[in-house]
Amino acid sequence: MKIARPFVECLLVAVLFCAGDSALAAPETEEQQPDPDRISDQPKPLVTPDAIERPKPLIEIGDPFLESGPIGEAIQLPSGAVWQPSVQVFGTYRTAVQAFHDGDVTMSEWANRLDLFANLQLSGTERVLVGIRPLDDGVNFTGYRIDGNKGPEDEYNVDITTLFFEGDISEMFPNADPHDRRATDFGIAVGRQEMLIQEGLLINDFVDAVGIVRNNVLPESAANIRHTFVYGWNEIHRDDNIEENGVHLFGLFNQIDAPKNTIDVDLIYIHDPSDWNSGFYWGVSTVQRIGHINTSFRAVGSRATDGESAAVSDGTLLLAEVSWTPPESHDLVYVNVFWGIDEFASASRGPDRGGPLGRTGILFAAVELGRYGSALSNRADNAWGGAIGYQAYFDPWRRKQLILECGVRRPTMGDRDTAAAAGARYRQAIGQEWELQLDVFGSIEESHDNGFGSRIAIRREF
Amino acid sequence: MSLLTKHITWLFLLMIGSAAFADTADPVEADKMHARVFVEERFPSAVTCGKCHPNHYKQWSVSQHAYTLASPMFSTMNAVLIQVFNGTTGDFCIRCHTPVGMTLGEPKAAAFADRSPIAREGVTCIACHRMSEAYGKNNGRIAIDPGSINEPVKGPTGYSAEIQKLLESGEVTDQPGDDGRRIHGRAQKFFQMTTSAMCGTCHDVSSPPGFRLEEAFSQYKMSPAAKKGVRCQDCHMGKQHGKFTGDKLSNFEYGPAARIGSKWTRKRLLTNHMIVGPDYSIVHPAIFPHNPLAIREKNGKSGMATIDEWIQFDYKAGWGTDEFEDKVSDDHKFPKRWSSIDDRYDARDLVEANMKLLEQATAARLKLLQNGFSLGDIIVERADAKRVKFKIDVANATNGHPVPTGFDGERLVWLHVVVTDRDGKKVYESGDLDPNGDLRDLHSNYVHNHRLPLDKDLLSLQSRFLLRNERGGEREEVLPVNRSVTPLPFFRPARRASILTGQPPNGRKHRQSISPGGRRWGRYEFSGDELSQGAPYAISVELKAAMVPVNLVSAIAVMGFDYNMSPRDVADAVVAGHQVLWTKKRVIDLSVDR
Repeated sequence: MKIARPFVECLLVAVLFCAGDSALAAPETEEQQPDPDRISDQPKPLVTPDAIERPKPLIEIGDPFLESGPIGEAIQLPSGAVWQPSVQVFGTYRTAVQAFHDGDVTMSEWANRLDLFANLQLSGTERVLVGIRPLDDGVNFTGYRIDGNKGPEDEYNVDITTLFFEGDISEMFPNADPHDRRATDFGIAVGRQEMLIQEGLLINDFVDAVGIVRNNVLPESAANIRHTFVYGWNEIHRDDNIEENGVHLFGLFNQIDAPKNTIDVDLIYIHDPSDWNSGFYWGVSTVQRIGHINTSFRAVGSRATDGESAAVSDGTLLLAEVSWTPPESHDLVYVNVFWGIDEFASASRGPDRGGPLGRTGILFAAVELGRYGSALSNRADNAWGGAIGYQAYFDPWRRKQLILECGVRRPTMGDRDTAAAAGARYRQAIGQEWELQLDVFGSIEESHDNGFGSRIAIRREF
Repeated sequence: MSLLTKHITWLFLLMIGSAAFADTADPVEADKMHARVFVEERFPSAVTCGKCHPNHYKQWSVSQHAYTLASPMFSTMNAVLIQVFNGTTGDFCIRCHTPVGMTLGEPKAAAFADRSPIAREGVTCIACHRMSEAYGKNNGRIAIDPGSINEPVKGPTGYSAEIQKLLESGEVTDQPGDDGRRIHGRAQKFFQMTTSAMCGTCHDVSSPPGFRLEEAFSQYKMSPAAKKGVRCQDCHMGKQHGKFTGDKLSNFEYGPAARIGSKWTRKRLLTNHMIVGPDYSIVHPAIFPHNPLAIREKNGKSGMATIDEWIQFDYKAGWGTDEFEDKVSDDHKFPKRWSSIDDRYDARDLVEANMKLLEQATAARLKLLQNGFSLGDIIVERADAKRVKFKIDVANATNGHPVPTGFDGERLVWLHVVVTDRDGKKVYESGDLDPNGDLRDLHSNYVHNHRLPLDKDLLSLQSRFLLRNERGGEREEVLPVNRSVTPLPFFRPARRASILTGQPPNGRKHRQSISPGGRRWGRYEFSGDELSQGAPYAISVELKAAMVPVNLVSAIAVMGFDYNMSPRDVADAVVAGHQVLWTKKRVIDLSVDR
C-alpha cells in the first residue's frame, strides 16, 4: 500500500493531463469560432532566418561545414573515387551540479563531461571519426565532490573512445563498376564505434568491430530489408559493465520495413576462448502504429552456453513502449512496461550504461554524467514494472519541454522490495547552442530509506 | 591556368565592367548590374545556352530541375529547417536546389525575387554540364567549373568536330570580345554523364547526422534494370516518360542539338531535358516556367515585369482576355504596372504560352506516373447481406526502383475507394480528403484532433518519418526533426557509423514504397444489417498521386510562403495538382457476386 499510493496518484495526474487535452479537443461549432484545423488563408511573407548565423564547429579545415560558397578542389583516386577532404571538430560539453540519495548512500557533486570529435569527411559516403572524452573515463568524471571525500576530481585523459572509418565499397571503387550494373553497394565500418542494438537492450557499448551492411534489399513483399554483419574483437563490456579481454562478438542484425510495421531480428554470439563466458543472444521487435497509438514491442533473450556468470546469464526481457499524442498538441503520453524473466544479460554494455531498462522511463536511466544514478534500478533480472509519463511542450518551436513520470519496479524473485518513484525533467534550449536541464525525483522502497535526486545541468553544443 | 591567374583575370574583368557602368545613376543598382556581368562571365545562365539550344532550353525551362528554387514549398521548408536546427543545417538542403547560387555564396534562405537570376534557375545547365568531377553519392555538394560561355562544356560524347567547323567558318567565336555569336569552344567528354551515377550525385541524400532521406540511386543499383544496363537516363530522358523502349537508338529523339543563326547542326540522338518527376509548379505561370521574356530585374531593361509585378497580375481573373477586358469598368483600379490594357494583353499572351508548356509537363507527369504504377482488378472476397469485402492491388510497373522513390517521405500515392448503393448514395469511402486536402491519416489536423475518424483502410505509399521519443517508442512526424529527445536539435556529423544501421539513433524512415516486381493490396469492407436493400453496389477505385501532402504545408506555414501566397493558396494548388493515374470500377449485385 505504501508503494502503490504514490504510483496511483501519479497515474491520476497523468490521466488528468490527458483528460484536459481531450476536453480541449471538444469540437466547436462554426458559429462559435472559425475552424481551428483549417489551414489559414492569410498570406504571410516568407521569413528568411538570415539572422541565424551558422554555428561553426570548433575547428573547420577545408570547405566550411555546410556553408554556402565555392566547393573546393577534389582529389581523384586511382580507384575513381573523388574525395574532398575536410575536417570538422565538434562535440558536446555537459556540466551538472547534482545531489543523489539512493536510500543508502548520499552524494553531491559538480561533474563535467566533454565529448569531442574530429570528423575527417572524405566524400559523401566515406569518413573517419575520432572521438575522445577528455574529462571522464566512462565511470569517473572531472569535477568536485561536495560531500563525503570533498575535493576536486581529476579525470583528464586523451583515451580514444571512438575511431572508425565508414564508407560504401561501390563509392570507394567506382571504376570497378563504371556502368553501375553490379550491386556493389556494401557499407562498411571498421574501428572503435558506438553500437546500439535493439534500443540498447542487446548492445549498448563502444566496441572495436568491423561491420558490413547490405541495405536496400528490395523484396517484393516489403519496402526494404537491411542485413548487417558485425565482428567485434575488443572493448567488449559484458552484462556486468566490465570489459572482458579476448572474447569475440559475432552479430547479424536485420531490419525489414513491412507495409504495416518495422521488424528487427538480431542474433549475437559471443565466443569466449576460455570457455567461461560464451553466450548466445537474440532480439525481435516490431514497431507500428495502431490507430492513433504508437507501439513498440521487443523481446530479447540471452543464454549462457558455458554456464551462467556475472558476465552472461539466461533470461528473457520483454519491453512494450506505447505512446500517443493528445489532440491539439505535440505532447506525448507514454506508458512503458517490462518483464524480466530470469536474468537477461546484454551482450555488451559499456561501463557508464547501467542495465538494459533505461528505455522504460527517465526514472530507470542513468544520466551518464557523474555518479547520479537512476531512481529505479535498471537491471532486468526477475522483475516487472513500468513507467507512465507525459512530455509537454511549451512553445511552438518546442524549445521548452517538461516530462513528468512515475514508475514502479517489482521483483519477482530475491530479497529486493518493490520500489516506486516519481520525477520530473525540464529542458529548455537557450540561444543556438545551449540547453538547460533540471531533474528531480523521489523514490520509495520498503526496506530502504526514501531516495531522492535533483540536478541542474547545462549542455553546450559546438 | 593557375588559381591566382584566374582570380587576377576575373578581377580585371570586374574592373572593366565597373568602368563600363561607371555612369550608372544608382550605385547600389550599378553594383548589382556589375555583379550580374561578373557572374555571367563565370557561370553562364541557361538563357545564354538556350540561344543555341532552344529545344533543350524549352524542355528544361518547365522541368523540375528548373523548379527546384522556384518552389515555395521548398523555400519555406528550407527556412523552417534552418530555424529548427538553430542554423546548423546550413546549405545542406539548398545546395542541391541552386548549386550555382550556393557557389556564389548567396544566402541560404531568401525570397525568390531576391536571388540572382542564375541562382533562380535552380539546377541550371552548367550544374551538370560544368560539373567539376565525377562525384559519386555526394549529396549534391558539387563544384562547378567557372568560365564564360566560351569555355568548354561537358557532355556525354565530347563531339567537337562540328563546333570546330563552325568556329573556322567565322560565324561564331569562342573568344570573349570577338564579333559574332559566342559559343563554347569544345565539348569535353564526361563519361559520368552517360551513367546513372551522374543522377546519384544529388538523388541519393544522407544527412550528416546519418538520416537517409533519399535513396533513389542506391535503390536503382539493387534493381533488375541496373543488372540489365538500363540507366536512369534511358527511362527519364527518352521519348517516353518513365519507360525505356528497350532499344538505345529508338529510345531517344533524333534531331539537331543546336541552331547557329538560321542553321541547325547535324542530327544526333537527343535526350529530353524535361526529366519529368512527381513535382508540379504551384506558382504564378509567368514566374515558372522560366521565360526570358517574362522577368525583368529591378532596373533591368529586358523582360516584361518584375517578379513582384507579376504576382500582381491576376491571370485567374482573366486579365488580358476579351471576356474580362470587355466587361471591366473604367474605374477598375489595376496595379500601376498593369494599368495599360495593351500590357495586360501582352502579359496574357506570355502567361498562356507558359501555361501551354505547363500543360505539356502535366501530361508528361501523368505518363511518367502511369508508367510507374499499375492497378489490378477489383476482387470481391465476400458479398452478402451482412458484409462486403473486396481487395485491389497496386503494383510497381517499373523495374528500376521502388515506387515512389526519391524523397518518398513526402510523396503521396494512394487509393481512393468509393462505394455507392443503387441510389448513388455513398456507403463507404477510403482515401478521401479532409477539408484541408489531406488524407485522413495521422497527419491530418482533423484526424489528429479527433474531428474526423482515422482512415484505417487507407492504402498510402508515402514513407513515414519516425522519430524516437524521449520515452515511448517512436512516432510519426511530418518533419524529420526530433524535438522529443532534445529541445536543441543540432546538425553535426554522426557520432556512430550510421552506414551500418542506415539511420541515426533518433530517427528513421519507415519505407512504404513498392519494390520492383512487388505489389501492395488494399483491403476494404463495409457491413450493415441488410445490405441487400442497397444492392447493387458500385465500387470505384482511383489510384492517385500528389507531390506532397497538405500537412507539410501546415507543418511549415509558420515561416510564411513566398510570392505572397497564403498557406491556403499553397494547399489548394497542391490539391489542384492531384492526378488520377488509373481507375477501376465494378458493380456488385449481392445475389450474383457472392
